[in-house]
Amino acid sequence: MSMFWFNPRGPKLPPEQQQRIDELPRPHAPQTVPLRQQRLVVLDLETTGLHLKRDLVIAIGAVVIEDGAIDYSQQFECTLCRQVKVTESVLIHGIAPSELANGLPPAEALLSFMEFAAGSVILAFHAPFDQRMLGRALKRELGYTMDHTFLDVADLAPMLFPEAMIHRGGLDHWLDYFNIHIPQRHNASADAMATAEIALILLHRAQRVGLTSLDELAQRLRCWQRARKAAFNSI
Amino acid sequence: MSTPDAFSQAGKTAVLQNIHGTMEFLRKYAPFNQMEPAHLTFLVENCELRFYAEGDCIISPDDGVVQHFYIVKQGRVHGQRPHTAKRGTDTTFEVIVGECFPMAALMGERATRTAHLAAEDTFCFLLNKPAFVKLVSSSPVFRDFAMRGVSSLLDLVNQQAQMRAVESLGEQYSLETSIGELALHHPVSCLPSRPLNEAVAMMQQENVGSIVIVDEDLHPQGIFTLRDLRRAIGTGTTDLSQPISQFMTHDPFYLPPDATAFDAAIAMTERHIAHVCVVENGLLQGVISERDLFSLQRVDLVHLAQTIRHADRVDALVVIRSRIKQLVDNMLAHGASSTQITHIVTLLNDHTVCRVIELAIEHMGDPGVPFTWLCFGSEGRQEQTLYTDQDNGILFEAADAAEAAHIRGRLLPLAERINRDLDTCGFSLCKGNIMASNPQLCLSRQEWSRRFSSFVREATPENLLGSTIYFDLRSIWGPSEGCEQLRRDLLDEIKGNSLFQRMMADNALRHRPPVGRFRDFVVARKGEGKDTLDLKVQGLTPFVDGARLLALSNDIGTCNTLERLRKLVEKGVIEKKDGAAYEEAYHFIQQTRMQHHQQQARDELPYSNRLDPDTLNVLDRRILRESFRQAQRLQASLAVRYQL
Repeated sequence: MSMFWFNPRGPKLPPEQQQRIDELPRPHAPQTVPLRQQRLVVLDLETTGLHLKRDLVIAIGAVVIEDGAIDYSQQFECTLCRQVKVTESVLIHGIAPSELANGLPPAEALLSFMEFAAGSVILAFHAPFDQRMLGRALKRELGYTMDHTFLDVADLAPMLFPEAMIHRGGLDHWLDYFNIHIPQRHNASADAMATAEIALILLHRAQRVGLTSLDELAQRLRCWQRARKAAFNSI
Repeated sequence: MSTPDAFSQAGKTAVLQNIHGTMEFLRKYAPFNQMEPAHLTFLVENCELRFYAEGDCIISPDDGVVQHFYIVKQGRVHGQRPHTAKRGTDTTFEVIVGECFPMAALMGERATRTAHLAAEDTFCFLLNKPAFVKLVSSSPVFRDFAMRGVSSLLDLVNQQAQMRAVESLGEQYSLETSIGELALHHPVSCLPSRPLNEAVAMMQQENVGSIVIVDEDLHPQGIFTLRDLRRAIGTGTTDLSQPISQFMTHDPFYLPPDATAFDAAIAMTERHIAHVCVVENGLLQGVISERDLFSLQRVDLVHLAQTIRHADRVDALVVIRSRIKQLVDNMLAHGASSTQITHIVTLLNDHTVCRVIELAIEHMGDPGVPFTWLCFGSEGRQEQTLYTDQDNGILFEAADAAEAAHIRGRLLPLAERINRDLDTCGFSLCKGNIMASNPQLCLSRQEWSRRFSSFVREATPENLLGSTIYFDLRSIWGPSEGCEQLRRDLLDEIKGNSLFQRMMADNALRHRPPVGRFRDFVVARKGEGKDTLDLKVQGLTPFVDGARLLALSNDIGTCNTLERLRKLVEKGVIEKKDGAAYEEAYHFIQQTRMQHHQQQARDELPYSNRLDPDTLNVLDRRILRESFRQAQRLQASLAVRYQL
């Protein structure tokens, strides 16, 4: 029996888009290049909710840290065209259904983002969430399997600033701690910028404590996460 | 992409959220608030944001030619130079949020001369040099800012104040307008031989209140006004065909064309005249009348002064005093400077005091001894605001102690009456009893002289405090020779007394300006004045005390703080640039204080000198902070001079 409607390799895309997917650069693993020279993409997603299987990505915001600075000429901001029921989450992300209707087609939006991200390591606050939401969307819309490296700012922060005594803090806790003022929270671009500003402080501290390459930083983070998990389990 | 393309591109594409947010942030500060949106977008889109932890060096002389333009987004940056004498470094300036650096080095295409360090965790926007150059060449506002650096900030404030003044007037007039522009350009004039009746006919025909009498070359000889006409007709015996030169007022008062409307108003008030000739190179150019000034500013100044001088009862003076308040309100609203206003307030206060004294004498009878009414403190320095209390005394001449006691006995009841009437007029009684009715302040010249010299010789805390009040003295009413003699004695006494000078210097450092080395403003932490600073005690007093000390030690007799600073510059005691900076700073703090008082009056709050700096707009805040820094510099120079 032919299951013509079932394509295990994902949706059927126009050849032009398929070609762009094929041309996407391969993600880099964290390398031993000095932290300062690494291009990093700081990402924030707005979603219809927090359910990893059910909810949808509706906006993508990203900024780039290159040469140790946030580069204002490289920014990504885009709303996805989605038909969604109005739920209470609209109160958080503040994107009206009409605005969603005017967004970019999801495939195009995601593809543009992947082109923007190129192969760079991606930073995000609560990165596992963004990683899984984005991964699922890419799979569904583009049939693309993402294996970019993600680093979680929510873990890097307490690892590098234990004196803050913030253990499982949200973005607001850290913004508060670093005294960073963001004009508009819960907007993908503004949150990405906020996360990036925290990241600048974290990278600065990392270099001071001798973590001079991204590879070392990623390793130290994995150790720290394991230790925390062990400590948590032993309680 | 060529520059115009880059800008039009920036204008067309939808502005990204973060770009927009950053533009909004920058728009709170000069010069960004005045730049065109396309230029500002270009700036932000070409920026990068960097983080510097406390103590990090952002840019130093060793980095070579400066490659970036920096704007502080968050935090503070200190400029540090190596200490000349000691080891270590000295913080020379502070850059705070919204401010830029290193302007001079960037424009001069050289390295900075000062190391810029992050004083706390700091974020800066960096604009690379090619983008900076593009912006300088395309944005006139930005170019202007880059060329003139921080000094243009003060100009900006002045521009703003004037703009407000123009708005409220609806016309382009201010008290700073030159009288050359305002005066009647074809003044009505005639030769001295012209018969009186013909001259008056000319006045009638031209509908003016005065005629200037000139020789053939237009050199003014005299002026004839309606007041002169009244006098001429009033006698009833005047032959109207006599030449006008017999009736005119000789050598009329005149000002050059570049004198201001304010100068003319003051001259009229001081001299009780209604017309001022405008003369250039000895030739008559025009005439400006009181009426011209009224129509200009609705400044009731001359009229008010006259009404005060003619008031026949103290009650009438009380009513007139309330109009002075209105006048000051008006003038502030029309953008008059604090110097102009203190000048006017002092002038009108002097008129009031004189009238109160005259009325008291009329009522109680002439005491039969000449005396001089002295005033001290802010009144003595001619720096009064409307809200003031009495600081006065009496000086008279007496041959010996017995005569002095006798005269004192006759003057004291009168003094008491005067003090009471002044209180009625709104000069509240002095809590410290520094008033003429106090027998210790109703003294002969010898007694005053002895008293002053004891202040200088016995430097107790009370005497030191006394010297800060009494040594700013001025005669308001009566013969002034005694007061001047007293002042000369005082200056001679102080000149040779370095111990006293040192004590005064110590005293002048008592009130520290409220700016910290590591914070922007230092405000009260608790109590009623929480989060506020005192504009008078912390801002003005350092200048007043410093100028007094330097003036008295350098044989300068004037009392007004700004006058003292000017004289100190003339004598080379302080540098010209420093003097100008102190003057500007003093002026700005005083202006802020007056506007603050005006606001309190509008809000029906009790008047106070305490201000929460957060209520100021960003620009005023920065300038106020710089002004306090100047006070700090003055104090630092005193500390060095007197080795404290």
